[in-house]
Amino acid sequence: MIRAVIIDDERNSRDIISLMLQRYCPDIEAVAQAGNCREGIAQIREQRPQLVFLDLEMPDGTGFDVLTGAYDSTFETIFVTAFEKRYLHTIRFSEVELILKPIDRESLQQAVQAVRQRLGSPGRQERYDVLLHNFGKTTRDVHQIVIPLSGGGEFVASVENIAYVEGGTDKTLFSLSNGDLLQSRRPFRYYTELFAGMRFYQVNNHQMVQLPHIHHIDHDRLQLHLHNQSVLDITERRKRELASVWRQQA
Amino acid sequence: MICSVLLWTERAGAQDTLQLDFSRPVNGLDIRHQLSVFTGEATPATAAALPFGKDTSIFHTRKKLLHRQNDCWLRLTIRNTGPVDSVLYLFAGWQEQLRFYAQNTSGELQLLSSAGMMMYEPDADRWDRYAFPIHVPAGQVRTFFLHLTNPYYRENELMPVLYDAIHYAQFRNREANLYKAEVLVIQIVIGMLLVLLSITIINYVQLPDKPSMYFSVYLLGLILFFCLRLETKPYQLSFFHRLPLLKYYWDVPALIGCFYFMSMLFGSAFLNLRERFPLMARYYLYSNIFYAGCILACFVSMAMGNFILPGEIFTWATFASLIPFGISFIALGRRMRHHPLIRFFLYGSLSLYILSIWSFLRNTEPVPFTPLPELVYPYMLLVVGVLLQSLSYAAGLSYRNKLVHQEKTRTQELLIKQLNKNKELQRKLNEQLEELVREQTTEIVRRKTELEEQRKLQMEAEYSKKFAEIELKAIRAQINPHFIFNCLNSIQLFVMQRDYEHAQKYLSDFSYLIRKTLDFSRRNFISLADEITYLNTYLGLEKMRFEQKMSYEILMDPTLNTAELEVPAMLLQPYVENAVKHGMNNEEHTTGQLTIRFTMIAHDMLECLVEDNGIGIERSRQLRTLPGHHQSSGMEISFNRAELLNKMYNTGIQIEIIDKSTRKTQDSGTIVKVLIPQL
Repeated sequence: MIRAVIIDDERNSRDIISLMLQRYCPDIEAVAQAGNCREGIAQIREQRPQLVFLDLEMPDGTGFDVLTGAYDSTFETIFVTAFEKRYLHTIRFSEVELILKPIDRESLQQAVQAVRQRLGSPGRQERYDVLLHNFGKTTRDVHQIVIPLSGGGEFVASVENIAYVEGGTDKTLFSLSNGDLLQSRRPFRYYTELFAGMRFYQVNNHQMVQLPHIHHIDHDRLQLHLHNQSVLDITERRKRELASVWRQQA
Repeated sequence: MICSVLLWTERAGAQDTLQLDFSRPVNGLDIRHQLSVFTGEATPATAAALPFGKDTSIFHTRKKLLHRQNDCWLRLTIRNTGPVDSVLYLFAGWQEQLRFYAQNTSGELQLLSSAGMMMYEPDADRWDRYAFPIHVPAGQVRTFFLHLTNPYYRENELMPVLYDAIHYAQFRNREANLYKAEVLVIQIVIGMLLVLLSITIINYVQLPDKPSMYFSVYLLGLILFFCLRLETKPYQLSFFHRLPLLKYYWDVPALIGCFYFMSMLFGSAFLNLRERFPLMARYYLYSNIFYAGCILACFVSMAMGNFILPGEIFTWATFASLIPFGISFIALGRRMRHHPLIRFFLYGSLSLYILSIWSFLRNTEPVPFTPLPELVYPYMLLVVGVLLQSLSYAAGLSYRNKLVHQEKTRTQELLIKQLNKNKELQRKLNEQLEELVREQTTEIVRRKTELEEQRKLQMEAEYSKKFAEIELKAIRAQINPHFIFNCLNSIQLFVMQRDYEHAQKYLSDFSYLIRKTLDFSRRNFISLADEITYLNTYLGLEKMRFEQKMSYEILMDPTLNTAELEVPAMLLQPYVENAVKHGMNNEEHTTGQLTIRFTMIAHDMLECLVEDNGIGIERSRQLRTLPGHHQSSGMEISFNRAELLNKMYNTGIQIEIIDKSTRKTQDSGTIVKVLIPQL
């Protein structure tokens, strides 16, 4: 049995989570509920749960406040939120589970399944460190990212150090500024969404470069030379746009 | 006849004493032979003892040229043979200086009277003074002395005659009439010269140039000369008799000055000889220096009392200049074709030159060939010459003026032509410039219009974009996604709890709300009734979520015509949502109390109040500045929307947010006051 605490300011929400857990995840036992952060931290301290269902916005704080407040406790978190835009990336960068209201069975079971797997494996602390690191940073460019490696395990990288990202068959290759190559379990499309609005530019349909890493653009050969010696191909169509975007960014 | 008879009879008996019956008529009795003459210097004191002799050669009936000063004493001893004391008059001609003495019984000379051209006696009958009264008692003998001094180069008739009173009067009339003719001529000449002078001066004022000035001086000199000629005409009006010497001073100098000096000066300037005929100019210049010297010498000699020398100077200077003048005239004549003005100068000069020579030749005075006008008679020809010269010069001047004028006109015409050309050029340039400016202006205007249109389009686009954005934001903000999903969450719970009645109700309420939200977000104004229904539904759903944690009421004036009143769609919703949220944030109250009030505060002003009992806007703001708390964007958007609506529809919507604690310290919560004018 996995012991769980539900923290949400709406009774309806707490009720439905506990009801759904009863119905679809019988191995999860909701041992306690809390209506605000203060209460939540207290319940965590008291119950020592393995899993916390955490609402992001509460009257006296956010879910991050709860995490900070109960930093010394080791538990996995599933964020539950009705609609979240602001913290969505922060959470996704850290690979912490998140489900959206109204909760459907599949996402709940998926999240719980991911937590089940993680409960026995190391690397929990990195994720939450990354989460708390990213929380409070105004720009995503200085975020850290947890890359779930295809070979198992996770790697924490600074987003700044990512030179370019290259999509493969449902896996993604990360090239860092020092030349290291990493392969993520996540598909390329996941990262294009995650990095949208940042300093990344998709030079072709399977490669995305981070602009500060460009050394120069070879206009004749339609090639992009990066500081880490990598050479990317660029389509004729995107060359001009890239040049202007790059210049602007520089 | 009588005269000659008398002359003959008297001569027979005349030895030294003239025997005459004073009671008988005496008419111009020639007493040349009865007069004793002494020529030489003497004083009245010594005169009686002078060795007088008979010398009739000093007498002359016409004018005479003197080469030295004539100084002579005449002695007349006369006896009145008649029965009564009577007076006869001795007239010895119009002389320069005459002094008349009588010898008294003691043999001394006594000055009786004096007269003379060179003398001025402040006396009314100055001409009558020339007839000296010889008063001899009946039967007695008296001796008279007449002292004649003439320093001048010309001597008038010296012919001593006697008149009785009646014949003297006749003589005087004759003389007066005789000179009248001459004076008339002189006056006419003066008049003409004055007219010329006036014209010349007027011209000079109009067009100051040297020839006019020289001509004026020439005319002035001549006028003065002729005016002074009047002085020598007995019994006639004259101007300068108080200055008897002036006519001597301005005699030869006037002739040299006018006819030579000024004439040549005038000619030189008039013909512009310095440029056209430099040799002649130099020739005239030297001549003028010579004549100026002559004039100076004349003045000096006259100042020293020598009035003979000027005559000599003039004579010789004239003779000396005859041939050079002739040559210069010929030289000028040869150039006449090239210079139209030469004609005038030449005609003038030649007319005087020829007429003066002619008049000298035809001189009736018994003097040798002389150019001195004083000794020429009649000098009408000379006057004609002078007049011709002046007229010629004047005509020349006027012709010159005409030429100058013509030249000026021609220059002006040229100038005007040039100006016209310039104007034409300027006009063309202006036209070109104008065209250029017009083109450029059109271009600029076109560009401006383009730019403006672009800007307008841009602005419109931006405006509509902004509006759309705000509209979109309004949808998002006014119906908080949180609310939507939480609602759905709640409904889901009813479903899971198998409470289908509630599920049904809330689902329909929720659908209504979403439908209205979508509907209202496209409209700017809705009726108050719609707004109230909307808010009611919204608050009902919120109540479903939070149950006893919140309560609400919507109050309104029962007289309010909610169907007629218009409010901006969902303007209040964000404030209501905020009130719900903050009302539950206050730890002092377990229930968040929300009140919405609609009142007409004026006939056209709807007041909407949204009141909660939360922590108040001020504290809420303080909390929000802490990290991790986001700024409430819903209220901001409502505020922007109100502003946009105000701008678009000129509605004066006012939004005021009041913290209750500022009114009452123990109170807490926020009041949002929205004033909506009804149009």
